[in-house]
Amino acid sequence: MKKTPSKKLTPRAIRAWQWAAAGGNLFILSLPILYAIFLGWQGIHLWVLIALAVIALLYYIAGIFLIPYVRWRHWRYEIDEHEIDLLRGVLIRRRTLIPLSRVQHVDTTQGPILRWYKLASVTISTAATTHEISALDEMIADHVRDTISTYARLAEEDV
Amino acid sequence: MFATQSQLMQGLPKKMSEFRRQHPIAAVARALALIKGNLVTIIVLLVVGSRGGEASVIWWIGGGFLTLLVLGVVSWWRFQYKIEDGEMHIKRGLFVRQNMYLTRDRVQVIDITAGVLQRMFGLVKVEIKTAASSSREATIDAISRADAEIITEKLKKKNGTAGDLQDTEEPAAEKQARTFHLPGKNLLVAASTSGSFGIALSVIGTIFSQAEPLISENEIYEWFMSVIPAETDLFLIITVVGLLILFAWLMSFFGTLFSYGDFSLTVFSDELLITRGIFEKKRITIPFNRIQAIWIMEGVLRQPFGYCSVHLESAGYGDSKGNGSILLFPLIKKHKLDPFLEKIVPEYIKSAPAQKPPLRAMRRYIFKSLLISVPVIAGLWWLFDASLWIWILLIPAAFWGWLRYRDASIGWDYDNIMISFRNLAKTTAVIKKTRAQDLDIEQSWIQKFRNLISVNLHVASGDQGRSFSVKELEVSVSDYLERWIRKGDNSHSIDMGQQTKQLVPHWREG
Repeated sequence: MKKTPSKKLTPRAIRAWQWAAAGGNLFILSLPILYAIFLGWQGIHLWVLIALAVIALLYYIAGIFLIPYVRWRHWRYEIDEHEIDLLRGVLIRRRTLIPLSRVQHVDTTQGPILRWYKLASVTISTAATTHEISALDEMIADHVRDTISTYARLAEEDV
Repeated sequence: MFATQSQLMQGLPKKMSEFRRQHPIAAVARALALIKGNLVTIIVLLVVGSRGGEASVIWWIGGGFLTLLVLGVVSWWRFQYKIEDGEMHIKRGLFVRQNMYLTRDRVQVIDITAGVLQRMFGLVKVEIKTAASSSREATIDAISRADAEIITEKLKKKNGTAGDLQDTEEPAAEKQARTFHLPGKNLLVAASTSGSFGIALSVIGTIFSQAEPLISENEIYEWFMSVIPAETDLFLIITVVGLLILFAWLMSFFGTLFSYGDFSLTVFSDELLITRGIFEKKRITIPFNRIQAIWIMEGVLRQPFGYCSVHLESAGYGDSKGNGSILLFPLIKKHKLDPFLEKIVPEYIKSAPAQKPPLRAMRRYIFKSLLISVPVIAGLWWLFDASLWIWILLIPAAFWGWLRYRDASIGWDYDNIMISFRNLAKTTAVIKKTRAQDLDIEQSWIQKFRNLISVNLHVASGDQGRSFSVKELEVSVSDYLERWIRKGDNSHSIDMGQQTKQLVPHWREG
């Protein structure tokens, strides 16, 4: 894989992901509790429970203090007049090339957390798939969306 | 005779420009469709109901049918349609009123079909398809053939591309159309080697395991136990499994026979028409410009005999579930494939030098298939308390991994890409460059050590997409593929170190 895409996501994305993980991963913490309720904590169950609690806690902490940083470091994107180039993933690196003539529509979306940090994500849909450039600065996201839709209009080719 | 009767039942013939209802039999059709769609729920309810003795079963069944019939009647009552100025207006829905407007310009295909129920009353079902995905909702379940023809006439584009009426009365301009039929012998082979056999087996297995307590109290069971030569527990298990397999095979055999019997494929100048089915006639129209990919599948049971099936992916027109995979031809000898495709989709007869996974990828293929089969074998081992000999199954699993390695390949020329891979059956696809929606290249951290990548190509299919992928390829392949998909790059002539003499697709050999 040569000529990797050059642009990075906005660094504020890390903060947004941290909050999202803090909220979204709460159910992981509830797993040991559910285990205790349904199976009890006598005998072997105690050890399973301890292991489960440690794993859940580690995962929760990593989800906040490790994964967002690593994820951000591994995210790259680039858009030119021919295609959209995305590169992401930590354990599994995934490179996606979307020719602009296949782009059906582009949206920007913004949840409450992203809005607080003045971020937005760009969603690119083709006839077959949907891809997301998550957590860009609002202004950049709008710019990216407009760029894609301008280029897509120029790149005329049948679907 | 039926037609006049149906007109009487609809009241006096009204003009198309006023709102009108379907034939009342649409209520029954709707109820049947509901049964078909909720079969699992109904079976669960019946099983629950059967606990309360025989009287309650009758109540459950009767009540269920009554509810469905009422629902059917209500939906029939609420469904109204009219055509005015080349625009069809459909009102439907009980709680949420839906208004659909289909203009003549947007209508692409009008399909007229007749199911068993419709045929009994001399009626037809009309499906009006536009490019939008919601179009599968514009279906009129039951109207007279005369009305259907009026609708087709009114919604027909002026250049006459939309709407072909009947099998027999094709317009003169399309006289050169060719029709291909499936020979009876091939139908039998297709039915007996159908892949739905595995699915049928799992369905029967589930039902059997659920119904087992009911059966074991039964007299039939007692009789059955006395008839089969059950000397040991193992023997009993083998007999039961054998019978289940036989039953599943029969189910898939007749299922395929009924749904693909009387198969015909007609090639017009701008579209393909597939009709199939013995009891329920299905018609599928596929305009050529909607075809996204052609792929052939060599099933495990079919490959040894040199048979394969031909499929296509279509955008916008699929089955009612929004799936765009269409069986173009159920069974054909592999060496007859080229002449066959020549007459239907000649632009898909392509081949290119195969880029195959390098030798060092083989162990990853084998390792992965072992990884999948170990839990399965362990499960069987534990479940049936079998001897350690069951682990001998790891050998076929490794062989399966090797097969997957052997059959994986990718190749491309200037504007086509050909992909070949195996899950259980071997699949070979030909995709035009302009139909590839995106290109995905993946590398896991283990693959990074081995300098390998996986390639994933998406094409549109129905409402969604379908992906074709080849795993464990040389990293350099990704560079070439990236350049290939970039617009305006002509460097398709590849000179890669370990190029094989093999071609993808290699259905020409043999």
